[in-house]
Amino acid sequence: MARDKKFVSERIGDFARDLFGSGTGRLTLIGSFILIFYVILAVFAPYIAPYDPIERVGLSLEPPSKDFWFGTDNLGRDILSRVIYGSRIALSISFLGVAVAFIIGVPLGLISGYVGGWLDRVLTLIMDAMYVFPGLILAIAVAAVLGPGIVNISISIAVVYTPTYFRVIRNQVAAVKDEMYVEAARALGAKRWEIILKYIFPNVLPSVVVVLSMNLADALMTEAGLSFLGLGIAPPTPDWGFDLNSGQRFVLSRAWWGIVFPGLAIVFAALGFSIFSEGINELLNPTIRERR
Amino acid sequence: MSLRSYILTRIILALPMIFILLVVIFFLLRIIPGDPVLAILGGKAPLEVIEQKRHEMGLDKPIMVQFFDYLKDVFTGNLGTSTLTNRPVIEELKDRFPATLELTIFAFIIALLIGLFWGAESAWRKDEPLDIGARVYSVLLYSVPVFWFGLILQLIFASYLRWLPVGGRIPAVTSFEVRTGLYVLDAIMSGDWKGLLDVLRYLALPSITLGMVTSSIFLRMVRNNTVLILSKDLVKAARARGLKKRVVLYGHAVKNAFVPIFTIIGMQFASLLAGAILTETTFSWPGIGSYLVMKIRYRDFPAIQGTIIFFGLFIVVISIIIDIVNALVDPRVRY
Repeated sequence: MARDKKFVSERIGDFARDLFGSGTGRLTLIGSFILIFYVILAVFAPYIAPYDPIERVGLSLEPPSKDFWFGTDNLGRDILSRVIYGSRIALSISFLGVAVAFIIGVPLGLISGYVGGWLDRVLTLIMDAMYVFPGLILAIAVAAVLGPGIVNISISIAVVYTPTYFRVIRNQVAAVKDEMYVEAARALGAKRWEIILKYIFPNVLPSVVVVLSMNLADALMTEAGLSFLGLGIAPPTPDWGFDLNSGQRFVLSRAWWGIVFPGLAIVFAALGFSIFSEGINELLNPTIRERR
Repeated sequence: MSLRSYILTRIILALPMIFILLVVIFFLLRIIPGDPVLAILGGKAPLEVIEQKRHEMGLDKPIMVQFFDYLKDVFTGNLGTSTLTNRPVIEELKDRFPATLELTIFAFIIALLIGLFWGAESAWRKDEPLDIGARVYSVLLYSVPVFWFGLILQLIFASYLRWLPVGGRIPAVTSFEVRTGLYVLDAIMSGDWKGLLDVLRYLALPSITLGMVTSSIFLRMVRNNTVLILSKDLVKAARARGLKKRVVLYGHAVKNAFVPIFTIIGMQFASLLAGAILTETTFSWPGIGSYLVMKIRYRDFPAIQGTIIFFGLFIVVISIIIDIVNALVDPRVRY
């Protein structure tokens, strides 16, 4: 275990050096700033937002002004406040969705890869079938049956990403399970679950961290897509995707503020998440860097 | 392996895939809580009516019997009957499929053109403004939800400039004879140039939206793979022979970079379909995507299940075609 710790601290050292030294580091830093910015918005929304997001506070479809920086929607609600509150739904669903996928996919992958045999073959087939299916269509199918709600949408998103975790972990486990140190543990009389949890899991974890950070941006976009299609959270809860859906009805009235601002919130968040994951990816897998 | 036996093996390998896909769809839509009968009839229907409906839909049979009925239906091309319109789902999908196909084909062409040419030229002028522009373009568009991009284009070109229609496909009555359902093709076959222009005006915004968003991935792939090939000896040799840039870049470098690109393109087709659902909804494009969304709104479960199966089969077929074309282009794939 002592060796393991040293290894991790070495990683952190490299990480910090890279973070402040190189171009990739700066990218990761910008990405994490954006991430933190959204987390702050979500947590402190009641203190930051100027108005109640679900109350009529102005006239319908007022363009941006001194009182309403982002204008008002067709129900006279302040769009700035709705965008700020919207980060709550967006973040909690993408985090929850990815977390559920992780909690289901990782153990299944560990067991499937380590045990092998027919169980492995069946699970791999099922996960592969789910994997080839376009994520959004799968999520739509599940969300259509489950109905709206934070938990339901998170489950729909989790269904999409579970196969990803399963595949990454399963292949890694299959690759390391015959390594010397696993054999040594087995020779010392370690139990099956001990080998999986204490020896294999820590060694395959870094590869999942990269997948995790990449999935966040994807999950955010999937959530926005679902709620744009009207499969997300029930109104009047502020939600970027759904607000775009209602904003669309006023395209011809040239109410651009109802479309531009919620959309920019999505783009900025997705951009931040992907920059962050790109940076993490390059830090953890330095071989990619040489290819550029 | 000969090409014929490769194709045969590829098709046979797809069969268990299709089977698993059908199993997953069947159980996924049933494990999940929520009762389709209650959803159709509403919570207040009398018990006898609910039982009656349940019997009609075969939901009172044991699950395994239901499963085999379902498999039999799918293999005989019966995707059930829409509870909303009482029409066979397969008929409704047939009506709407050409619209989706037309949209995805044009989006695909746009994505391919942007990705191929901009990608190749960026690789040739690595780290110059054109290349940096390409990288910024692909990162930005990769983070843009396709439906939002569509809305922005609607705002600019339909609302403010009024150059293009805001949505829809074509007036109900077409001036040309509809044979294939692909209006561009139909208009050309009828020699109706005014009709063709009309069709293209409606097609422009949706296909540009979907095409540009998809092009961000193509662009990145083409650029990175071409950069790799450009540093190889074969390119040096071609240049030493004094060949023109166009020949070196497209005839030698891009051609050799094409196998990995082609594989990605095949995988992208699936997400192109997913993007089509959102694009169709944004532009009220009457394809399968907007059909699915409408059916979900009315909780028409047979239609939802049928559409998902259709999407699944379509993707499997496309992936087989891509693999076969890949094997044709590069014989190494076959081994």
